[in-house]
Amino acid sequence: MSEPLAIETVDLQKRFDATDALRGLNLRVPQGSIFGFLGRNGAGKTTTIKLLLGMARPTAGQARVLGLSADDAAASVTIRTRTGFVDENKVLYDYMTVEEIIRFTAAFYPGWRRDLEKRYLQSFELPLHQKTTALSLGMRSKLSLLLALCRGVELLVLDEPTSGLDPAASEAVLQTLVTHVSTERLTVFLSSHHLADVDQIADHIAIIDAGRTVVSGDLEDLRARYRRVQLVFTGDAPDITFHTPGVVRVRRQGRVMTALSNAGSDALIEEAMRFGPVSADVLPVTLKEIFLESVALED
Amino acid sequence: MLWQKAWLETRGRFLAGLAISVIVGFGVIYDFRATERLLPLVRNMDPGALDTTGPIGAAIKEGIAAQQTFRGFVWWQWYRQNLTYLVVIFGALLGAGGLLARSGGATLFTLSLPVSRNRLIGTRAVIGLAELLAIAIVPSLVLPLLAPSIGQSYSVIDVMVHGAFMFVVGSVFFSLAALLSNDYTDMWRPVLIACIVAAALGMLEYVPAISPYGIFHVMNGETYYRHAGVPWIGLLISTGISAALLRTAAVNLAHRDF
Repeated sequence: MSEPLAIETVDLQKRFDATDALRGLNLRVPQGSIFGFLGRNGAGKTTTIKLLLGMARPTAGQARVLGLSADDAAASVTIRTRTGFVDENKVLYDYMTVEEIIRFTAAFYPGWRRDLEKRYLQSFELPLHQKTTALSLGMRSKLSLLLALCRGVELLVLDEPTSGLDPAASEAVLQTLVTHVSTERLTVFLSSHHLADVDQIADHIAIIDAGRTVVSGDLEDLRARYRRVQLVFTGDAPDITFHTPGVVRVRRQGRVMTALSNAGSDALIEEAMRFGPVSADVLPVTLKEIFLESVALED
Repeated sequence: MLWQKAWLETRGRFLAGLAISVIVGFGVIYDFRATERLLPLVRNMDPGALDTTGPIGAAIKEGIAAQQTFRGFVWWQWYRQNLTYLVVIFGALLGAGGLLARSGGATLFTLSLPVSRNRLIGTRAVIGLAELLAIAIVPSLVLPLLAPSIGQSYSVIDVMVHGAFMFVVGSVFFSLAALLSNDYTDMWRPVLIACIVAAALGMLEYVPAISPYGIFHVMNGETYYRHAGVPWIGLLISTGISAALLRTAAVNLAHRDF
């Protein structure tokens, strides 16, 4: 039986005038996961979020959020009742105070969590009577997070929640998220180009580039599957074409050949040994390396 | 809460419009005393001293004739000029800035709320139009209230009827500014364009053949002032134009990608 999904997109496409922002995006976000949605600037992350929340309509393909079609106007309202959202720019109503915008937002959510509101107001030290424009970006990020977390929803969609924050504020936001998720049952869809953030808290990821998914899956599984094999030869590394499935990229530099595999290292080493390297080392691959290799492949 | 949001977004413009209109309304009442003192001089003026063959002379003659009474003075100064300008300007100002969220502000936050776009747009439009209605009627209430202080009287019914004309035609400029705000992110260009359109329509009314059918002829309620008639066709056309502009703005926003 397939796992229940909080978000599913099938061949999702979006064209703006002459630009293809999404070119057939396929995503499967399991319920209850912290899903890191990675990509370079302009890869299509924000566009995807806008399609999921009904802020834009797809050119083709399908997007389902919490089992509902994101393209249907009525269903989209239901989706937003069950979803919290933090915008990349954290722009809030400049004419409202912190207290006013909390009361305003709470009015739309029957399941608004007063207990969490009280807790986060205290821990974020938000000044209730200050206008939102008078807040620093860090404080505005915390307020945006409070407005999303207290909705009592099943899904959190966070678009670059730590963007523009200093390391301390960024860490505070991430720690709040981790603590929140550990006590509440919900799915977090975290869009970011800060790999360290995602690496720190995500359990599933998708890397997109130029509007397409290039890598997707359970992060631990990906870490287990991705391996870098470094082979050293006595002379220049030979020009080899590997036939082992899963070889993503091969690089040669002098005597050293490096091959990246997304299907483990055993079969690759077995094939490589036939070419007589003097040494063969298997190195673990970080999320950053997976990301860089994946998006580099698209160039 | 959407009502509160729309109110907070527009209250500055609304209250400014209301305050300015009330102050100008006060001025109109107490100006009548000065006019009263001038009237005997005008009545005794040599009839040949004014060349009424040109449009300016004809307008001065019409103005003098109208302002012989307090009701005529109010119509000429207040409804035909001051309030007309104020309703056009503040109608455009209230319509400008976007029907979903104020320009530059938190559109994505608004769109993330569990509310349909039509409800967001409808609430903002209703609040803006209600404020315009208040600007069209409330400042004129100083007329019946304060007229006795200068020994005059003014009908509340006239205030309501003229206010209705002002509102119906003023809503055309509200709707035009709202539609323009779909394409201009700042508030000032829609207001400026709406005011230029109003000025152009006003200039057209200097053409005698067009004047009786002009939008400002409907707005200042000349038919009502002179003949106690209601310019139904003009009101219906204005309502139709206003509804069409607002609907276009709403449909465009409802289908727009953000």
